[in-house]
Amino acid sequence: MSDAPKTINLLIAALGGEGGGVLTNWLIDIADACGWHCQSTSLAGVAQRTGATIYYLEFMRRDGDNRRPVMSLFPAQGDIDIALTSEIAEAGRMVSRGFISPDRTTLISSDHRVFGITEKTHMGDGAADRDLILAMSARYAKRFIHFDMAELVKRHGTVISAGMLGALAGSGVLPFERQAYEKALQSGGGATANLSAFSDAYERAARGGVGVVDPAITPEKEAGFVLPEPRTDAGRALLPIIASLPAPIQEVVYYGAQKLVDFQDTAYAMTYLQAVEGLLAIDAPESSYESTREAARWLALWMAFEDIPRVAQLKLRPSRDDSLRQEAGIGAAEPMKVSEYFHPRVEEVASLLPRRIGEALLRSRVMRKLVNNALGARQLRTDTIVVTLALRGMAALRHVRRHSLGYHHEWRMITAWLDAIRNAPDPEVARALVDCGGMVKGYGSTRHRTTSRLMLIVDKVAAGKATTAHAIHDLRIAAMASEEEQPFQSALATLSP
Amino acid sequence: MAERSFVEEVKKLRAGEGDVFKGEGILAITKALLQSGVSYVGGYQGSPISHLMDVLNDAQDILGELGVHFEASGSEATAAAMLSASINYPLRGAVTWKSTVGTNVASDALSNLASAGVTGGAMVIVGEDYGEGSSIMQERSYAFAMKAQMWLLDPRPNLTSIVDMVEKGFELSEASNTPIFYMMRIRGCHVTGEFEARANVAPAFSNKTPVVPFREPEKIILPPFVYAQEREKIAQRLPAAVDFIKTQRLNEVFPGRYEQLGIITCGGSYNTVIRALERQGLADVYGTSEIPIYCLNVAYPLIPDELVEFCVGKRQVLVLEEGQPEYIEQGIQTILRRRDVQTRVFGKDIMPMAGEYTGQVMLQGVTTFIEACPGEPIPLRLGASAVAALETPVSDEDIAELMVSLPPRPAGLCTGCPERPLFSAIKQLQAELGPFHISSDIGCHSFATAAPFNLGNTIMGYGLSLASSSGVRHALPHKAISIMGDGGFWHNGLTSGVTSAVFNGHDGLLIVIDNGYSAATGGQDIPSLVEPNLIATTLDAKRPKREQWQPIEDACRGAGVKWLRTVSTYNIEAMKETLRAALSSDEPGLKVIIAEGECMLNRQRRIKPMIKQAINSGKRVEKARFYIDPETCTGDHGCIRISGCPSLTIKENPDPLRLDPVSYVDNSCVGCGVCGTNAHSAVLCPSFARINVVHNPNGWDRLLDRVRRGVRGWFGRREQRRLERSSL
Repeated sequence: MSDAPKTINLLIAALGGEGGGVLTNWLIDIADACGWHCQSTSLAGVAQRTGATIYYLEFMRRDGDNRRPVMSLFPAQGDIDIALTSEIAEAGRMVSRGFISPDRTTLISSDHRVFGITEKTHMGDGAADRDLILAMSARYAKRFIHFDMAELVKRHGTVISAGMLGALAGSGVLPFERQAYEKALQSGGGATANLSAFSDAYERAARGGVGVVDPAITPEKEAGFVLPEPRTDAGRALLPIIASLPAPIQEVVYYGAQKLVDFQDTAYAMTYLQAVEGLLAIDAPESSYESTREAARWLALWMAFEDIPRVAQLKLRPSRDDSLRQEAGIGAAEPMKVSEYFHPRVEEVASLLPRRIGEALLRSRVMRKLVNNALGARQLRTDTIVVTLALRGMAALRHVRRHSLGYHHEWRMITAWLDAIRNAPDPEVARALVDCGGMVKGYGSTRHRTTSRLMLIVDKVAAGKATTAHAIHDLRIAAMASEEEQPFQSALATLSP
Repeated sequence: MAERSFVEEVKKLRAGEGDVFKGEGILAITKALLQSGVSYVGGYQGSPISHLMDVLNDAQDILGELGVHFEASGSEATAAAMLSASINYPLRGAVTWKSTVGTNVASDALSNLASAGVTGGAMVIVGEDYGEGSSIMQERSYAFAMKAQMWLLDPRPNLTSIVDMVEKGFELSEASNTPIFYMMRIRGCHVTGEFEARANVAPAFSNKTPVVPFREPEKIILPPFVYAQEREKIAQRLPAAVDFIKTQRLNEVFPGRYEQLGIITCGGSYNTVIRALERQGLADVYGTSEIPIYCLNVAYPLIPDELVEFCVGKRQVLVLEEGQPEYIEQGIQTILRRRDVQTRVFGKDIMPMAGEYTGQVMLQGVTTFIEACPGEPIPLRLGASAVAALETPVSDEDIAELMVSLPPRPAGLCTGCPERPLFSAIKQLQAELGPFHISSDIGCHSFATAAPFNLGNTIMGYGLSLASSSGVRHALPHKAISIMGDGGFWHNGLTSGVTSAVFNGHDGLLIVIDNGYSAATGGQDIPSLVEPNLIATTLDAKRPKREQWQPIEDACRGAGVKWLRTVSTYNIEAMKETLRAALSSDEPGLKVIIAEGECMLNRQRRIKPMIKQAINSGKRVEKARFYIDPETCTGDHGCIRISGCPSLTIKENPDPLRLDPVSYVDNSCVGCGVCGTNAHSAVLCPSFARINVVHNPNGWDRLLDRVRRGVRGWFGRREQRRLERSSL
């Protein structure tokens, strides 16, 4: 029975709500129109809510006697001709489950990412390694066709199932004519958008997928950084200093200085450059200055701390209207209302006040309560004239920022951190302390948690309790692991007494 | 209004004699019921048979024309009790549910039905939720069939067999006066294919042709009749069934040339067996096999004569049944030993005890079985080790790397789900008050037990959360907390939970999540309604009210609850305050919070067409969606950790200095506002904004917008000049 007719087996992996069922129904209709049997089955269950869904189809040409073939309901390892996945991690999952056979399976996937919950909840960057998944998919598939179908269908104003059908058709692995696919799309809703997305995806897949046009890979990204010529007074004051720094750190320092002129003024950026120069010694001469570069990155971000004037400044960006319109998918003519969620607390107000007054306010329970009651959660209509004026007023407070409690508070911490780096006994410890600068983020209680944990680490280092780069690294990881106190406290507890 | 509409598909149910019917397994079963002249149908939704209920619901016109009575039963017990109609009268009836959970709920009525016996054919279509894609604990329905003596049909998973077995099943039920389980596996429920239809048959008795009431005292479940019924099961009903199954050839024997071997498989696994044999070169795609196969379309009872006839003269047979214990294998062993047939029986010694017989498992089992046969070896394409290697072509190192990289995708709450803000509120309160022990329930809300909420300790069954807190409540440092959905409340929670708790002076907190539907099973209607929430859009017509609806609040008051609050879930602050009040109240007795918010999937289905129509007809409509300012977001993702909304995701940070991705609201946002409210309630950050788009603006909108834009533009140009001055 070796030359006996066989079924063509297709596995589709999609995410809930992506139209895997619609895609399956198209394929059933196409097969039927072409004189083929098609059996499909699916696992939806609770997966229809955000989870992964699996559809499994088998195709068999109808014979003259119209005998009905016995088709399997299970996709089986070593028995899959085509795997079609709507997202690249799902392609990886099919590889890991053994469904992709090097001698048989054509793997067709969109290579965009839809992040899973564990990737999204990470306190830093928890995203999976897309390149690794791409490499694995290429390694184990007989043929691997991939491109960004999400971007493609968005351009055509439809959903990914239409792009997946186009890619499947364009790959030529199923024995159906292009017209049959198009006919199936014509009879459904949204036919025009589906057909144009289908056609685009068909062409991409027919040419082998990626490598033709991939907007994700732009030549600029590949090119090295070149320090621009000064265009302003600030530039003329700062750029020569940046140019005198080692080349590997110039890009970061340039963006850092740029940010700080905007945040405060040229003098503030000058302070930054001096601090960076003071850190150069932590790297060996003629090295790639990685530690200094990272320190310069975190220092710039910290120095541009997000107090009320800074947030107001960012909310007044002239480009913001366009970004909002673009995200909401509305044209320039349509009216748009924007409500922003602010929740200023007494701490934020106090940090704006002159140091002594601010401290006094925070000490007074009565005043704290009064101010907190006056503030609280607010939705501000930032598109209105009144709020725009108020925001401008708040942004202007940056001129008196240097005298504020917040400024004093941040600089006390920045100085402690910089001192610890400069006083580090060896380059590894210095680097571990530099990396701790990345912990500083968030607002309100989040910011209080991240900075106070960093200060605790700095204290432990100063007190000789954490002496190795390894120990500092572990503390940082524990501090970043959770909002709960427990992981960080246990890490602290393991230090020498 | 269920999640999936079958309004188009049910037209196929009108197919007449000889028409080729193409469609899904579930739809084919409905057609088979109509071809069988069924008089009444009922059931309770739950995957994998939710769609059967949806199909029946959408097919009410056709059912009505034929005189078929349909009820969306309150629970599986309600559905099972319906079958009592077939005890005295020759009414054919079918009910359906998810098994084994539904069978457990229905067991009281089922046992009594099985004891009394039936006159009209009575069929329970069970969706056997076992294996990949299941949402419940893993058990077999088989045990119930054996202990209550109901026959269990397990047809081959092709539409022709599925339909034929429904019709034969009713005949079997009537021939043996025994109710029937008709088992459909998950993949079988969703399988598509075709069969030749027969004409629908109107039931002999219905509202058009009523029965003449009469009594048969011997069918009542009281002594002394129950002893007679038990004897009758053995003396009359079983032999009658065996006889019918034999003469009607419900089980199938497929001959093959290697007669020293045989495979005994349940009908549901037949296709997987054929595929395994085909891959070994021992069968063709049309099912012609070189190994003889005995296919049990009736999995219970076993037919001793057929088994002996199949096994006699064979060196060895392989018994294929999924799950544990191996009831069929044990039954076959008993039959063969009693008749002194010495054929060796392979089964769970080479097949896995737990889990489905997938393609790979089947191929491995069949290969091991064939290789074990002494004598001239049967040529195989793949030896056992080659088959084992198929399991994965991926090297160990690559698997390890992939496992680290691939994100798990657990089921979670949908975008805009009204339950999300409730759990955000509970999580925030837990951070203040210390760890909670929470008794959870069945429903969408059980996803709160997973990331990012991680709330909930036990799930005991549908509507049983309050009951399950009663044993632990005296030993908790806080008032016991139970969470139940509205579906669970009506299914079981009111009686097993609320009534019992009030009676026993339970002073804990019950949160009833009122989203207006049995949402987790596909959005079917339930007795109570929920008020539509005016969120995300200014347009929302009232949800059409049924004439009769049963408010949860009234039910609780009727059961004696004194402390009762109804709070919109989207109001996180109010919810936190109400929860705090309930947990610190000195008032004795049960506290019930009805957490109200319409299921967003259903809501979107309801209002999307309305919005589209309103916009097209020129009506002024405001529509909201959310936005995260990438410049103020610092990439801590705290907003995601207290929400987990699918539309709340991450993207590359536009700031060249920052390395961590920023939070980002993608296009699937429905504008429910929970992320913004959370940012407020948990004092997160100033990055959240709600964008209200005004469609078909009126003159005032335009004027105001023009003035505001003018002013913002003037300031914007000034800010632009400042930015240029402060660039380098």
